[in-house]
Amino acid sequence: MTGSRGSQAPPLEGRHEDAGRLGDGAQPDIWEVFRQEKDGDPLRHAGNVKAPDADLATHYARELFGRRQESVRLWVVPRSAIRDLSDPDLLQPPLDRSFKKPGGYVMRDKLAAARRRTEGQGS
Amino acid sequence: MIGSPDGRPRTRQTIARDVPEFDVHDLDQPTRAALAELLVTIADDEFVLGFWDSEWTGIAPMLEEDVAFSSLAQDEIGHARVLYEMIARLTGGDADDIAFGRPAEAYRHCRLVDHPRTDWAFSVCRRWLYDLADSIRLSALARSSFRPLADVVAKIRREETYHLMHMDAWMRRLASSGLDSRVRAKEALDTLWVDASTPFARLPDEALLIAAGILEGPLDGLADRHRDMATDFLRELDLQPLGAPSGTGGRQRPPVSTSFAWLWNEFTMVRRQDETATW
Repeated sequence: MTGSRGSQAPPLEGRHEDAGRLGDGAQPDIWEVFRQEKDGDPLRHAGNVKAPDADLATHYARELFGRRQESVRLWVVPRSAIRDLSDPDLLQPPLDRSFKKPGGYVMRDKLAAARRRTEGQGS
Repeated sequence: MIGSPDGRPRTRQTIARDVPEFDVHDLDQPTRAALAELLVTIADDEFVLGFWDSEWTGIAPMLEEDVAFSSLAQDEIGHARVLYEMIARLTGGDADDIAFGRPAEAYRHCRLVDHPRTDWAFSVCRRWLYDLADSIRLSALARSSFRPLADVVAKIRREETYHLMHMDAWMRRLASSGLDSRVRAKEALDTLWVDASTPFARLPDEALLIAAGILEGPLDGLADRHRDMATDFLRELDLQPLGAPSGTGGRQRPPVSTSFAWLWNEFTMVRRQDETATW
């Protein structure tokens, strides 16, 4: 296993062709594992395993994230298949973006007034 | 050990849950004894291999395999636990006493699991040969007319199928990962092959089990299938072992092997400190 973002150097300025390059044939590939705790839950990132092929990756995912019956479903994904997107220009642009946030509408007073009205009609 | 100091039956709910209720008097006494004998051979195979393989905990070649192999070893001990519990029902004994309370020479495991851990290739090859044998033995037992056994076996098989897939994958790794691992795998197979059929050792009172429909036929009738399946797979990997399996004998003891004497000492060590302790 490696740390979730661990030993790998952070991608350089969003050049995601560097992401997932750990599997070069000589070194075991890294597989990211997602697990579902119960039916209907979202799949959440559980961690990762090192394995030389998809079969062993599946076995290791099962043993590390399912042997105690803590999962009903696992997704095992080669890290190289993941597009790593962390470019600040894309995700944290410098200009003020506060107008894109759903703030600015003060709801507190309106909500309080609405509650008072419904209480007045209520049971 | 699960104990009660007043000497009442020491049975834990979590164990009992896996063994279906049955009336021991459905079987006559000699058949019951023969069935207990069959179950103790299987349980001891699982138990002993489980303890051997758990010797890799902390030192397996990579972290993931360390966790996985230890988990497989625990599964085997878990299967043994269910079978010991079933024996306890049949004989009126206690599962923990059967598992941990016998002298080393009373264990009935086959010769295939009577080798030490040795190196990684050896443990993988032994485990693979055993899991293949176990899958064949379990598929025969799943058709048993003795329903409680067929039910328990059905549950065990669901885990064993996965074990065999895991070991198939590792055999392929060993065969394709360079000269050293091939040489070690080949040496291990040459050593183990002579014992490969011993999980199917014929039991003294097997005829009673066949007459009662508990077994479909003689156990050693399954050995050919095992040998053929193993040979086909190993040929595909170009890892054919030397010689031929020496037959299906090999549960007869004493003498106890040096390696098993060591293992027995390990797995009974805690219990022997205080046999009346409650856990």
